[in-house]
Amino acid sequence: MKKKLMSVLLAGTMVLSLVACGKATTDTTTSDNTDATATQTDATQTDAAQPADASGSKDAIRLVNGKPEINDQLNTLAAKYKEETGNEVVIETIGGDQKASDALKGYYQAGNMPDIFFVESNDIPDWEGKLVDLAGEQWTEDTDSELVVNGVTVGFPYSVEATALGYNKELLDKAGIDPSTLTSPAAWKEAVEKLDSMKDELGITAVFGWCTEPSNLGWSSGTHVFGQYLDAGLAYDDTKYIDLLNDGGQIDENRMKAFAEFIDMMNQYSDPDLVIDGNYDSQVAGFAEGKYVFVTQGNWIAPNILANDNYDGFEMGFAPYAFEDGIDTIIGGVPNFWAVYADGNVEAAKAFLQWCSEDSAQQILVEEAALISPYTDCKYTSDAPFAASIAQYISAGKLSYWHTMEKKSGLEDKTSVVFNQFAQGALDVDSFVSTMGQVIASYYAK
Amino acid sequence: MRGTFRPKRTSAVICLIIGILLTAAALTIDIFLATGFIPSDNSSDLWFRGPLLVLGIIGIVLGLYFYPTLKHHRTIINVLFLFPLLFAFFITVILPLFLGLFYSFTDWNGIEYSSVIGVGNYTKMFKDPSFIWSILITFLFVVFNMILVNLVAFLLALLCTSKLPGMGFFRAAYFLPNLIGGIVLGYIWNFIFANVVTLLTDSLSGNRLSMLANTKTAFMAIIIVYVWQYAGYIMLIYITGLNTIPGDVLEAAAIDGAKPLQTLFEIKIPMIAPTITICTFLTLTSAFKQFDVNLALTNGAGAVPNFLGEFITNGTQMLALNIYDTAITARDYSFAQAKAFLFFIILACVSIIQVRISNKKEVEL
Repeated sequence: MKKKLMSVLLAGTMVLSLVACGKATTDTTTSDNTDATATQTDATQTDAAQPADASGSKDAIRLVNGKPEINDQLNTLAAKYKEETGNEVVIETIGGDQKASDALKGYYQAGNMPDIFFVESNDIPDWEGKLVDLAGEQWTEDTDSELVVNGVTVGFPYSVEATALGYNKELLDKAGIDPSTLTSPAAWKEAVEKLDSMKDELGITAVFGWCTEPSNLGWSSGTHVFGQYLDAGLAYDDTKYIDLLNDGGQIDENRMKAFAEFIDMMNQYSDPDLVIDGNYDSQVAGFAEGKYVFVTQGNWIAPNILANDNYDGFEMGFAPYAFEDGIDTIIGGVPNFWAVYADGNVEAAKAFLQWCSEDSAQQILVEEAALISPYTDCKYTSDAPFAASIAQYISAGKLSYWHTMEKKSGLEDKTSVVFNQFAQGALDVDSFVSTMGQVIASYYAK
Repeated sequence: MRGTFRPKRTSAVICLIIGILLTAAALTIDIFLATGFIPSDNSSDLWFRGPLLVLGIIGIVLGLYFYPTLKHHRTIINVLFLFPLLFAFFITVILPLFLGLFYSFTDWNGIEYSSVIGVGNYTKMFKDPSFIWSILITFLFVVFNMILVNLVAFLLALLCTSKLPGMGFFRAAYFLPNLIGGIVLGYIWNFIFANVVTLLTDSLSGNRLSMLANTKTAFMAIIIVYVWQYAGYIMLIYITGLNTIPGDVLEAAAIDGAKPLQTLFEIKIPMIAPTITICTFLTLTSAFKQFDVNLALTNGAGAVPNFLGEFITNGTQMLALNIYDTAITARDYSFAQAKAFLFFIILACVSIIQVRISNKKEVEL
């Protein structure tokens, strides 16, 4: 009898707890609804001070961030947003070894989608029909970098990154080389030979800090250096070579050959301990310590350089990969965006994004997170290394968009191996071009 | 007898019927919601679905439990008590298996599918040289590993069962690598191959390149790391095997004048034959599923200049990593699913053979 009583009791508790849970959900859903309508009427009537938002915490929106290096700054941003508007944004960071786009697929399967999330431009086809069209938002007037796919504005830009050959100004000055003259293969060859002959005077190990190791650094050669072939020297909206590439994986052999000759020079004057089997840390550390004059990375190495104890504060900038005469641009753009999920809290998310493009948010993003703002009305400048150089290129109209982000996903793992074989000497300039062509074409054929 | 049966039976049947009705009602509302028959903004008013379902299931269970039958009582109880486990097994293993098989015939992108494309993914698989290469080196890896891991593990076990001093320490030390996760281990060895082994090869042959820079040596490197990681574990099984050899047999051999080598080949190895079978299959299946060390050590990179007329860039990419790469990097989820199903068939065959052979051995013993 006791046992029976016990089991009835247990079953009863179970049912009761479920009822309680059910009730709780009703509560939040209904209050969510009223909140949403409240904000909506707010937005339409006046955008002045919001009413005392007692239920602010229930209106919290979730933002999934894919850049772990700015997690702390985004939390600062969220705190500031709460302070100014009373609305809450919860920052969740995915990153490190897990790709945000894969984790988000898991979120989707589990019905756990955030309101705002990290996307790269080639993620967009996967999310077709699930993202909000942000066209007509006020911030779109202050930037040209929003992500538009098939006429739909889906991505909010928050930072610009750029890459070319980063140089150490101090060493170039010592050698009497003006980086602004490095706009033709001949000029490069002359400068590199001069630097190589002055190795001992300059105290450098090699002219280039260039690494083709494919397993861990494939993104560097396969995406960024390869991106120079796609875009160096082109106007910001010129899509000639990426269109060719995405049309079944074709390459322009003449351009690729000129590019290969330039890479050949880099292979020749690189640190032999780095070029084939080095790693990111030693590459960046070597540049920060003045062992290399040039480095094949972008402005994202700035925090690593500043953190290096042996960095003596030299000035740095970018020089173009001038593998053809007259190439004088660096490549860059917005690497990733924030998209708004259609079934989420759309109005609150839009309001947050608008706020992010405005003054107080830009201050945090630029000054604390050391991002370069894509907004024309941003009045803050980052004092991070390379920022001044990038700003110069942007204002001179010499920024080529990096369409390399729009190549087929995973191609970098294939091309980086070809770069590595080239550096090892297993391929020469001609076979590099033909192998590259075949590897790309067969990857696109899959 | 009948008098006591009847009221029980009616109450049990009523319980059962109410349970079925409640469950059906809850599920119907849910399905209507999902298909949009009931507008989904009403879902908050339908909070009672959960309790309804639970009450319904409790009703069914109670009804079945108290149903007065002598004939089927035992079966009902067995099924009732096995149900939670079977249900969990169904949800986590059986359902994903068939769902995966289904997805492999569609153009699933990890989020949803738009059309069923039939066996396209399967035919594509065998026209892809890089995938065929992955299958080949996986088999090669398995063969090398099966031999090397067992050899090394057996030698270590012989060493650890000898009467030398400090063997407890060595036993633990050999086992330790197995406790380190494969990814961590991969990164540690990545460093060793780039910075320590190069010192050795530099002074020996003037080669300053890491073993991981060349496809062939990188493949050797993966085998070395894997043997180092796995041999300690297999060694423990061999030690147990060696310890079960009765002392009197060994003593008798010694009295008869058997030399140590003779004892090893004529007595020890035949006596631990079942252990060898078990270890062989353990290494076989685990080597097939090799993933983490492969990922951390080379991430599959490696050049093969000419394989089936193509320059291949995934020289050290084994099957599991190839599947992962297809899904995660190339974002071809349905294609990866098809490859995964082939992988499942290969592993299932190996496991079935393993079970058959070990069963036979047990009968012989």
